[in-house]
Amino acid sequence: MTTPLVEVRDLVKHYRPAGWFNRNAPSIRAVEGVSLEVAPGETLGLVGESGSGKSTVGRAVLRLEVPTGGTIRFEGRDLADLSPAELRATRRRMQVIFQDPFGSLNPRRTIGASIAEGIEIHGLAPAAEIPARVDALLEEVGLDRNYRHRYPHEFSGGQQQRIGIARALAVEPAFIVCDEPVSALDVSIQAQVLNLLLDLRERHGLAYLFIAHDLAIVRRIADRVAVMYLGTIVETGPARTVISDPRHPYTRALVSAVPHPDPDRQGDRIVLEGEPPSPSAPPPGCPFAPRCFHSQRDRRCDQERPLLRMVEDRQVACHHEG
Amino acid sequence: MSIRHRLGVVLAFTVMLLAILGPLLTGDPTAQPDPVGGRLLAPSTAHWLGTDAFSRDVLSRLAHGARLSLLIAAIAMTTAGSIGVLFGVVAGGVRGLFGWTTSRAIDIALALPRIVVLLVVVAALGQITPVELGLVLGLTGWPSIARLVRGEALRLREETHVTAAVALGAPPARVIAREILPGTLPPALVAATLGVADVVLLEAGLGFLGIGVSPQLPTWGSMILQAQRHLAEAPWLLLAPGVALVVATAAATLLGDALRSRLAPGSR
Repeated sequence: MTTPLVEVRDLVKHYRPAGWFNRNAPSIRAVEGVSLEVAPGETLGLVGESGSGKSTVGRAVLRLEVPTGGTIRFEGRDLADLSPAELRATRRRMQVIFQDPFGSLNPRRTIGASIAEGIEIHGLAPAAEIPARVDALLEEVGLDRNYRHRYPHEFSGGQQQRIGIARALAVEPAFIVCDEPVSALDVSIQAQVLNLLLDLRERHGLAYLFIAHDLAIVRRIADRVAVMYLGTIVETGPARTVISDPRHPYTRALVSAVPHPDPDRQGDRIVLEGEPPSPSAPPPGCPFAPRCFHSQRDRRCDQERPLLRMVEDRQVACHHEG
Repeated sequence: MSIRHRLGVVLAFTVMLLAILGPLLTGDPTAQPDPVGGRLLAPSTAHWLGTDAFSRDVLSRLAHGARLSLLIAAIAMTTAGSIGVLFGVVAGGVRGLFGWTTSRAIDIALALPRIVVLLVVVAALGQITPVELGLVLGLTGWPSIARLVRGEALRLREETHVTAAVALGAPPARVIAREILPGTLPPALVAATLGVADVVLLEAGLGFLGIGVSPQLPTWGSMILQAQRHLAEAPWLLLAPGVALVVATAAATLLGDALRSRLAPGSR
């Protein structure tokens, strides 16, 4: 395996409830020991339902959140060891695309100014060349260069997302966290933006951490996939095989929920019972145990947290797989 | 632009016209041409708004009063607005001890009752010039703007475009200047414009109480003070500065509202 571009080890993120009246309330355990790697040019899909901690992982990888524990290395350097100025300089190499395309753009600045922001911050071009750079970026993401002087609200959601992508691209990053970049868009637009991300990956050799709750989308873009449940990774491996032949019960349930183009080949839908446990009071054993339907589910599942173990081509965190 | 906003602009224009051109077209506001026979005259062609108890022309006093009121209000709101935005943005935008301390400073300033502070300060200074009164009103008026700006900054700080700027590597000062400060200016400007109404009323109130600027100066407040002694015989004395106050206050309020809708791109 090549040297990873991003290396996350045992990431933990707990949130203390805010406010004086909540000082004795338990912390919210958003992320409980996540390890992952992204190689240069590789796309890792991070899948899970709302509240599984996948977005928190994305934010912590970019050090937009300070982790409670664990290390994050980017290009071999521990982000926690960097001075504020060094960290800002490193941000040129790692970027982010947000779920909310409109909210991610400053409504009071022209989109040209927003796209130029990173170029200005890092002094990547003389002031005179910036307009030409912005034009080139607009064209690269499939927008008209005359749009430079317009404001975000004049664009559709898909166009706004393209603008957000152009802004991230402006600093020539090696790695982009895509935090549910298409889930706020119409289905017809989703495919276009997804194709754009695929093209850009090809052209610039980008690595993505692609966060999504939709396995069908992840299957299209990711080389490898990591499935999160309640702050932990329950299964990770090659996207193709994990999605076609899931092993962890939770992954099986997720995969069964993806509609198949051919209704005859659609397998039985596994409908999970109950809700995910509260992240402020996770179960002592396997986080999935309270909803698990595995035939061999036993007392051990309630008492002992399963660790990720190698099972054929992937890792699974289940006492009864492998 | 809606009818309300047009009305605000027209009213504001009228008050400004009165303040700028009025004093040039009307006579000396302190002249007492006939203190015996010419006092408390009803409105006529010679004195459009009548005369007061010292035979002074009410229209002339009203126009000079408008100039004074606007001058005081402009100084007060510029002062209050600048200090308020500065404190508010630091309190809401800067994390850590510095932001926290600034925030507590605003809270303490807010806890002081403005009218009491004003009375003490103005009484201690004795008779002051209109410019000084404007500064005093500004220095007591900034906390409410600071509170508003702090709230706006705290809200903006959580917006995704702020995170995007941080993720791009923008240093904190740039994030505040580019992403947070501009968003707080429209509400601050609106609050300052609305605050003009407050200041005009406060100045009138202080004038009515007979403190602040010299009673010789024709402020609307001192006009109202003097008018109430002759309310039965000469009600126009009260009507003129009263209507002027209402118009000026309404103008500031409607103008503030008009500014609010103009300054928020995409909000309508």
